Amino acid sequence: MVYITSWDEFVERSVQLFRADPDSTRYVMKYRHCDGKLVLKVTDNRECLKYKTDQAQEAKKMEKLNNIFFTLMARGPEVDLSEVTGKEQTDAQPTKRGRGRKQ
Amino acid sequence: MVLLQLDPFLNELTSMFERSTETGSVWVTLKRSSLKSKVVRNKMATAGEAIEYRCLIRATNGKKTISTSVGPKDHQRFQASYATILKAHMTSLKKRERKDKKKSSEADKREGTSKRPKKS
Repeated sequence: MVYITSWDEFVERSVQLFRADPDSTRYVMKYRHCDGKLVLKVTDNRECLKYKTDQAQEAKKMEKLNNIFFTLMARGPEVDLSEVTGKEQTDAQPTKRGRGRKQ
Repeated sequence: MVLLQLDPFLNELTSMFERSTETGSVWVTLKRSSLKSKVVRNKMATAGEAIEYRCLIRATNGKKTISTSVGPKDHQRFQASYATILKAHMTSLKKRERKDKKKSSEADKREGTSKRPKKS
C-alpha cells in the first residue's frame, strides 16, 4: 500500500485520480478511536493512495478534503475547485466580491 | 446494506461512532454513482444524456453497514452535518506537539539558567 507522507501531494494526486476516472474512484476513511488513528484511502481499483495520521490538526485538513470530494462527486468532475474559499456556491454566477474601485 | 435517508443516516453514523469508542473502527466510503444499471445508463446515453450523478456514502463498523445517497442540492447541508459529527467524535487524535515541545524546551532552559549565574 502506498502511504503518502505529504498531505498536499495526497490531495493533489487523489483529485487527479478522481478526475481521470470519476466512476470507479472512491474515497475511504477509517477511524479507530481506541488507537487514535485515522487512515484515508483513494483508489480507482488500479492505483491506490493512502494517508495515515494520528494528529488532530490533520482531521481539520481532512474535513476540507471531504468537502472537495463531496463537491466533485455530487456535481461532477468538471467542477472548478476554488479551494481557497472551499465552497463554490458562486459557480454559476460570477458574483462581484466587495473589492471594487474606491472612488 | 441499509439505504437510508440523509438525516437517519447521520443519526445512525453518530451512534456508530459512539459505540466504537472502546474498540473497533468506523469506515466511511464516498463514491460517485448514478444509481442506475449499465443498461439504463446506455439507454439514456443514446437517448440524450441527462444522467444525474449522486454521491454514495457508506458507513460501517465492521458488523453493520448503512448508506445514503446525496445529490448536488443536499450535498452542502450533508457536508456541514458530517463535518460536525466528525469533529465531535475524533477526539482521540493527538493535539499539536509543538506545545509539548515548547514546554519541555522551556523546562530545559529553566534548568539551564538555574545552574548558570543569572544576568541581571
